[in-house]
Order: sequence, then C-alpha cells, then structure tokens
Amino acid sequence: MKHPLTNNYRLLLFYALFWGVISIINIALNVGWYHQPLTYSLLDTGTNYILYPLLGSSIWYSIRYNSLEVVTIGRLLLFHFIAASILCAIWVYISFVIYRPFISEDDNRLVNDLPFKIFLGYLMYVIYLVFFYAVNYYQSLKEKIKKEVEYKTLLREAELQALKSQINPHFLFNSLNSISSLTVSNPEMAQEMVINLSTFMRYSLMHNEKEMVPFSKELENIKLYLGIEKVRFGKKLNAEFEIDSHCFEAEIPNMILQPLFENAIKYGVYETTNQVTINTTCVCEGNLLKIRIINDYDADTVKRKGEGIGLRNIRQRMEILYNQPDLLKIINHKTSFEVQLIIPQKQAVS
Amino acid sequence: MSEKLQTLIIEDEELARNLLRSYLKDQPDIEIIGECENGFDGVKAINEKKPDLVFLDIQMPKITGFEMIELLDHKPQIIFTTAYDQYALKAFELNAVDYLLKPFSKERMQKAIEKVIHHIQHNENNIEKLEEMSNFRPGEEFIDRVVVKDRHKIHIITVDKIRYIESLDDYVMIYTHDGRHMKQKTMKYFETYLDPKNFIRIHRSFIVQVDNIAEIQQYEKESYVVILKDKDKTKLKVSKSGYKKIKEVLHF
Repeated sequence: MKHPLTNNYRLLLFYALFWGVISIINIALNVGWYHQPLTYSLLDTGTNYILYPLLGSSIWYSIRYNSLEVVTIGRLLLFHFIAASILCAIWVYISFVIYRPFISEDDNRLVNDLPFKIFLGYLMYVIYLVFFYAVNYYQSLKEKIKKEVEYKTLLREAELQALKSQINPHFLFNSLNSISSLTVSNPEMAQEMVINLSTFMRYSLMHNEKEMVPFSKELENIKLYLGIEKVRFGKKLNAEFEIDSHCFEAEIPNMILQPLFENAIKYGVYETTNQVTINTTCVCEGNLLKIRIINDYDADTVKRKGEGIGLRNIRQRMEILYNQPDLLKIINHKTSFEVQLIIPQKQAVS
Repeated sequence: MSEKLQTLIIEDEELARNLLRSYLKDQPDIEIIGECENGFDGVKAINEKKPDLVFLDIQMPKITGFEMIELLDHKPQIIFTTAYDQYALKAFELNAVDYLLKPFSKERMQKAIEKVIHHIQHNENNIEKLEEMSNFRPGEEFIDRVVVKDRHKIHIITVDKIRYIESLDDYVMIYTHDGRHMKQKTMKYFETYLDPKNFIRIHRSFIVQVDNIAEIQQYEKESYVVILKDKDKTKLKVSKSGYKKIKEVLHF
C-alpha cells in the first residue's frame, strides 16, 4: 500500500490546507492575544505546525509495517514509544537549529518551552497514529471489497464455464444417445440415467448459492458425473477413490473438481481403446485438504498442449480465494497425468 | 435393389452401437457384416470386407472418422454419425454428404439410407468429395498429428516427430526420426496446417522442422542448403524465398 498522502492528491491538498489554517490561527493568537513578537510567532508556528506535519507524515510507515492484527499489544506500545521518542528528538533538534539564529543567548524562552514541546511532540504522534490507523483500515477495507468483487466476477465466469462444460455438447448429446439406446434394451437403466443426469445438472445449476460446500457433497457430484460417463464408456472407464473418511467435512469451493475430472476423461478415456483408471486420493494433514487425481493416457495419440481454460480458471479461483500461489500443481508423467490440489481449511480437520 | 447393402458399423460406444444395430435389424436393404470399436479396426475391416455402406462415428479414440477416410483403399458410401462437431457439420453442409446427429430417430436414419441407395443407383460416390473435404479444415488452426498407413500398419505421427517433408508429385514423403511414410496430401496442405513457427517451407519440394536444422550453408552465390541434425547430415536445397523465411523465424 502506498503512502496515502503521496497517493491521493486531494488528501494531500486537504492536509496542507488544514495545517495552513492551524498555522494562521496560531500566528494570529500569538500576536493578537498573547502579544508575542512576530518572529517568535512565526518560528513557533513553523516548527510546530509545519515542520512537525512534514516529519509526521513518515509515521505512516511505522503503522504500515506494524499491523494491529499481527503484533502483540505490548510490542506495539514499545515500538511506538521508541518511534515517537526518535521522532520527537529529531523534531526538537531541528527546531532548535532553526531558532538559534533568531534568538539571543540569554533568552531562556526555549528552555522554558522545552517540556511543552516534548509533550506536544508525543501528543501529535498519538493523533497521527489514530489518523493513519483509520486511513489504513479504510484502505484495506476498500481493497478487500475490490478483491471480493474481482473474486465474484471470476466465480461467475467459472460458473458459466462449469455450466458450459455440463452442457458440454459431447457429454450431453452422447449421454442422451446412450439413454435413447437404453430405452430399447434396458428401460430401467435408462430411467436411472435420466435421473442421474438431472441430479448432476441440478447441482451445477444451484451451486452459485454457496461458495463453499462440504467435500462430501462435491465428491457425490463427481461420482454422479463419473457414473454417467461410465454408462457410456463401460469397462474403459475405471474410477478409484481412496478418501480419508475424516476429510468429508472439509470445505471446498464448489464445482472446483468437476473440470479436473472432465479433463481426465477428455484426454484419458476419449483418446484410447484401453482401460483408463482415474485414481483419486484425498488426505487431510493439519489444516490442509490434499486431493490428487491421476489418470493414464495414451502418449502416442495425445499431445497434451499447455494449460487449458479449465485449469487456468481453477488456478485463478484458488489464488483469489486463498491468496496463495501453487495450490494447484500439474505433473505430466510419460503415460499419466497428475493433478494436485491443496485446499486450506479454517481449522484442522480431524 | 436386388442385393442388400453390405453394411459396417464403426462406433466406439457400445450403447450407440446397440441402438444402431437395433434400428438396422429390420431394414430390408441392409445386411450388417461387422462392427468395429475404433478407427484402427475400422480401416482394416473396410479394406478387407469392402462394405457398400459404413456408419462412421467421427469422434473416436486413436484416429477420428475423418482421419480414417484418408487411409482407405476401398471406398464405400459413408454416413457419418456424430454427437456434436461444429466444424465437421459446416463441412458436411458444404459437401452435402449425409450425416446423423446423435441421438437420431429411426426415420431420419432411413432417409439417410435412401439417399445412399439413390447415390449408388446413379453411380455417385461421395468419397471423393470427402477427400476434398479432409484437405480443408474450417476453423481448425494447426494440426497436431498426421495419420499414415504403410502396407497394413497405421501410424500416428505427432507433428513434433516430423523432421521434414518432401514433395513427390501427387504424394508427400514424411521423414520422421524412425523412418519415412508416404501420404497422399499436398505440400500446400502441410504448409497451411503445420504451425509456421515450427515448420518452414524452405523450397518448392521441402518443408523442414525448425529444431531439426543444424546449419545453413551457402553453396553458390545467392544459393543455400540446410544441413539437418541427423547422422547422414541430410542436405536440403533452399530457395530464395525459403531463405528469407528461415531468416525471419530464426532471427538472424
């Protein structure tokens, strides 16, 4: 985050105007009410209300790198006390340097003013602190909102993508063709497939209500999807699951798995005449849900190009959601393709 | 029709095959002589059994229905079946070959058969049109593989394995790291559908994979040869425009 004063031209103007007005009032009071000499009034105002605001703007950095949430209160107080002392010392020293040419040696006004000046220095520090913390809070809030909007847009895109992939024409029309065939040979199974297809499509259409779903639910949907494909491909498609039972309660972004399995089928099952195994393993370690999907593929016929839209979408979604790179890993072994997905959890799953 | 149409079904999904078989069972003009589950078997079966009619799925493992057509010695009438393939559909429309969109009704299929019978009675065969069509890939950017057949074996060559291509009148010879394969296609076809970042037409008769070039030598004034990275150090002629293209791609 940039310094709010250099980053925002209007705020800087307001800041200058504010201290300008304070300075004029201070000079007017000193000269008009307390009958102080003009030079002294100018020096007093200059050091207190112009020099300090110049130095004080640096207090931003002391709060910027001491987030309230991260540091303990004791350390925070100590840090700010030291920072305030350093700032005061610098400020008082520069003030004296400015005063010296204008004030005679025997004038002890400076020594008399010293305690007040130090008190003022600390007081101003506290005021700045409150001000900057407020600005910082406001800015992070704004950024958070912006990020959230970004995420929602992306999620919507992902939904659209997901929607498109369920209505992936190959998947849909081939499934319908299978149903058409089953109505002749096996009406009961045809009915079952219609129901499965409906349930799968319904899940995908409804999922935009919630961002996070229990892993068990997402898994159920995947099994439904694979079940439908299994009717089409028969023995060619072999799905294996090794899931740690205590992973079921973990939370997972909805519809994040389906594109991965769709890829596995597209590049694995579509392109070969052999049996293809899609192996899915899930383990929970601490507060991480680790999912690994491996499928064999026929290296002779398939030349895998880079990351498709599906994978890129998932990667982006994960990055925005968890603010962490490398949660999605893709490894191309010679005859199999491996996808690793790590889903951080709020609490450890046990 | 005095004789029944000898018909072959090529389709990778069992349920789709079952449906087609049940539709065809009571068709008076049809006799099913075989079924294949993939393109490899399909090519073999067509060349051996010489059917009159083939129901051919487009999207299949190993090689697609389109790629199969390039490999046929015997040319039957073909009715394509497909779930969805927008580019193929466009091509069909252009060439007026019949095709069935899955799922299709029995009535629709009967119409397609009638069309085929009409074709046969008027001595027309759509296979030449189909071959033309396979030279034209609307919407597709670059190919990533080429299918070839030597005697009885079908090879799938991914384009990264191609070293260079030489023109031989109506054919091209494709040189890979483990041999060479003849294919009935034009140089123009490969020049268009191989990614020009990786393949350069260096001469009327040659297209070369860029990574395979070891060096470029001048052998006369204004005349060059490329030397390839193989143990024979194959030399290929470079034309003037070819030299310009090499310079562009390799930035020298």
